[in-house]
Amino acid sequence: MTEGEISAAAQGAGNNSSDFVRKLYKMLEDPAYSEVVRWGDHGDSFVVLENEKFTKTILPKHFKHSNFASFVRQLNKYDFHKVRHSEENGHTPYGASAWEFKHPEFRADRKDNLDNIRRKAPAPRKAQNAEDHFGQNQQIVVLGETLAATTQQVQQLQDSYYDILNANKVFVDEIMHLQKLIRAQFQVHNELINHLNKVEQDRRENRNSNHTSSYSSGNTGLLSDGSESPLELRRARDIINGLSVEHVADRDLNRLSIAFHQTGNSPESAGSSMMGPPGGSGVAPFMHDPLNDVRNLVYPVGQNIGIDPFAPEHMPNIPYNRPGQETNAIASGSDFNGPPMPSHTPPNGALQQGGSPWGAKKPIVLLVEDDRTCSRIGSKFLSQYDCGVDVARDGLEAVNKVNSRQHVYDLIFMDIIMPQLDGVSATAMIREVQPNVPIIAMTSNINQQDLESYFHWGMRDVLAKPFTKEGMIGKLKKYLAHYLRNPPPEAMMDQMYSNGGLGQPPTPGSYANQGMGQLGPLSATSSGAVGKFDTTPIQSPATSSSWHSPSQLPHASPTLAQDQGGYLAAGSGSQMVLTPGGTQKPQYANAMMQQMGGPPRMPDSMQQRQDGPPEKRQRLYGPQGNYNQ
Amino acid sequence: MAASDQNDDSHDSSNMPDLGEAVDTVTFGQILEMDDSEDDREFSKSIVFGFFEQAEETFEKMDKALETKNLDELYRLGHFLKGSSATLGLTKVKDSCEKIQRYGKKENVDGTPEEDEALCLTRITETLKTVKAEYADVEATLKEFFKSP
Repeated sequence: MTEGEISAAAQGAGNNSSDFVRKLYKMLEDPAYSEVVRWGDHGDSFVVLENEKFTKTILPKHFKHSNFASFVRQLNKYDFHKVRHSEENGHTPYGASAWEFKHPEFRADRKDNLDNIRRKAPAPRKAQNAEDHFGQNQQIVVLGETLAATTQQVQQLQDSYYDILNANKVFVDEIMHLQKLIRAQFQVHNELINHLNKVEQDRRENRNSNHTSSYSSGNTGLLSDGSESPLELRRARDIINGLSVEHVADRDLNRLSIAFHQTGNSPESAGSSMMGPPGGSGVAPFMHDPLNDVRNLVYPVGQNIGIDPFAPEHMPNIPYNRPGQETNAIASGSDFNGPPMPSHTPPNGALQQGGSPWGAKKPIVLLVEDDRTCSRIGSKFLSQYDCGVDVARDGLEAVNKVNSRQHVYDLIFMDIIMPQLDGVSATAMIREVQPNVPIIAMTSNINQQDLESYFHWGMRDVLAKPFTKEGMIGKLKKYLAHYLRNPPPEAMMDQMYSNGGLGQPPTPGSYANQGMGQLGPLSATSSGAVGKFDTTPIQSPATSSSWHSPSQLPHASPTLAQDQGGYLAAGSGSQMVLTPGGTQKPQYANAMMQQMGGPPRMPDSMQQRQDGPPEKRQRLYGPQGNYNQ
Repeated sequence: MAASDQNDDSHDSSNMPDLGEAVDTVTFGQILEMDDSEDDREFSKSIVFGFFEQAEETFEKMDKALETKNLDELYRLGHFLKGSSATLGLTKVKDSCEKIQRYGKKENVDGTPEEDEALCLTRITETLKTVKAEYADVEATLKEFFKSP
């Protein structure tokens, strides 16, 4: 050590130890205080003459407190002692109330000596070190104990986490099972209604057999307005259609289920056995996968203004089948810009080639909107998609148009807030004459209560405002699928439109065509998978799972998972990088394909397309490069 | 070209004019796509100029409604202009209209109820000033855009 360092150290130590003493000395140097506190007559002590004044005015200035007792205690710690005059001399030189303090080293003429005044038991350096060591040891012990306690806590938390995880798994399985049951019931009901309808038709036919010429048109009218079909059937159908079999949470549920089954009895649930990827990788990334987060997908615009799609209140009301399905349908169209596909020319492609996406008859859409900007843009979107468009500027006009031109409109887009008559009231009125025409609310005011009232009054779906072309056309495809020149295969129809579209198609012909009998889940596994994938590459891994009991899901070994993940990741690109848990998704997709007897001839490009989350697909392939021209 | 368009592969970014942050390129782009010809932009131009008229009418009505302290009417007008500005992708105007809509409905910006009608009116007065300025900006931008083919 150099001299400088030593002195600096000494200085430091001095400063530390005698800060109080320095303050004390400084205070006594101030002549202004001499009436209150001053050096003793011999300069070897100091006297507080006026206790009260000292406490109130000087203590706060120099020691930042106004507690005389504390000051005295501090003095004692530094080995100052009160000088007791009364015992020695019987009188006090400074007055009865004065306090005189003394320290052998504290003298008015020895300012340099201040450093020698230390706290009591400051002890020599070595002793202090020992004390430090002791303190450190003590600290270590305390820390150790805390650590042990924390560890135990963590352990307990972990245990309960595993418990909850397992319970959750059971619940999810149970829910999946119940969903399957409900779906089956739903289809049974549909079958029954269908059958009854047919019986009813036959009965009518027999009765009106002399009107054979109008047979087909009469047949058509039968279901389109529904007014001729028996009330009970209609009611039953309305109820069924009002129920949403699938809802947004399905996706998450499926993901959960997959996650549970993928991690299987791996680290998470077994707790001790270490197999497969480190614990947590199974579930957590799935839950936080930003690309797959349903929240981003509910509305085409990506805005879910004020609405929590997961709020349980409107779960049963929202007929969103699956988020992203419109965009999927669109993606299917724009993907095929290249060589025209002979059998499955997608609607957009057809349009591009100068044809119409629609079959024999173009649908006619009524757009009810008071804002002429929105109205004109909406009409343009629709007419460019080769629909017949009629426009009403408010609810009243809409009701009048529907009344005067019954059964003309195949679909109605309805603004909510309008002058004269609002959209909800208009819908309620239209429902009285047209119980089945799909009416879709267009609004930016989406909150739970609003949604409930929309659905309660007969709206079938919501198109978020500001609407996009994709959003609008998605709804067209969803509700007017039977008008499409190349309607999607039946299996997909059932799957896609399971909750609203099914009963709605106005013509029994197409209605029957949709094949109520061919149930989505069953035929999905058997009907030509290639064709299905061609037209609607909808199957996101998560959705396809809903058709299978979780127990059927493959319990892939981690190695396999990685292999497959790697394979698909090579093809499908970016989202693999983005999502830590991504490998599990493709693994599952692939496994599912195999399980479904997946198409061996399926081109790689298709496979890739299915891997991506719908949102991603939309971005990549989506909205209408076609229209750019 | 449009930097904000990078995320959206569906639109050919080379066709997209950069209209600044006040205009959402994707939304506005899909209206431009509706044009049969990029040379005259007949459809989008008529839509946009129609919107100008509409907006100016609405601002006048808003001024009147402010004078008569008709919050309900202000709510309605805010909603109305919000719809069309949103459809065109005029983000700033839309956001301000949404505020006016809320204040008119006696709500705070976050949707919580606000009982103080005077406060709502003050807020609308301020927001109306803002939205008029925002509108003037975007009007100039769009007029410039449609001037040069």
